[in-house]
Amino acid sequence: MSQHRQYELVYIVSPDASEQAVADLHTQVEQIVQRFNGTLDKTENWGRRKLAYEIGHAREGTYVIETITGSGEMVKEIDRRLRVTDTIIRHLTVRVDDDLRVAERLRTERKETQARRRTARGLPPEPLPSERRGDRDDNDSDDMGLEGAEGVR
Amino acid sequence: MSGERGGGRGRGKKDDKDKAKGERPRGGFFRRRRVCKFCADKIDYINYKDVRLLSPFIPERGKIQPRRISGTCAKHQRALQTAISRARQLALIPYVTD
Repeated sequence: MSQHRQYELVYIVSPDASEQAVADLHTQVEQIVQRFNGTLDKTENWGRRKLAYEIGHAREGTYVIETITGSGEMVKEIDRRLRVTDTIIRHLTVRVDDDLRVAERLRTERKETQARRRTARGLPPEPLPSERRGDRDDNDSDDMGLEGAEGVR
Repeated sequence: MSGERGGGRGRGKKDDKDKAKGERPRGGFFRRRRVCKFCADKIDYINYKDVRLLSPFIPERGKIQPRRISGTCAKHQRALQTAISRARQLALIPYVTD
């Protein structure tokens, strides 16, 4: 019994590979995903980017990010395939669903607390845009004051 | 003292700041109150692909900035750690620079 989870797959294609080769790799991944009854949710191509360090002899590479929903077996297979593909110089799969869920929960919780506190103070639950900006500016000036104090020392 | 600090967390920011301003050690060393960047900016998920988010925490040598310097809270430092190591694997951030 395999559960479906969301993963993020990032792979770096060698700079020698053509545009066509990158597209082929993408369809390859897509096929594997389909074979395992998964879904390819999103694809992002960052294009050619300089690497922070040399991998093999490559100094740059094409970054492709795919968001996939599927089983662990699917990830295993993709991992295996990418490992044996010569044009791929690096790849990484990260499970993201849990992290995103946590982030989402934190966001809604924060919103709720804010709304509750604001209604308790007799304000509308959502802060007005003008209001928020004023708040920010106030904080900034406060910081400036502190910095000034630092200078005086 | 630690209890005091814990109590101050939920309360207004102003109080804390005033306190920080008030206690200036005789050593002539004034330390500005550090705030966790991720808490302040309300960043829930530290994305490993966002180099611009991570770069302030990676000084020249390429090491991860310790918590005592950056002021990041424990929870976010942990998340930052994983994010940075992932970014390193993907050659977005160097392992070492010299």
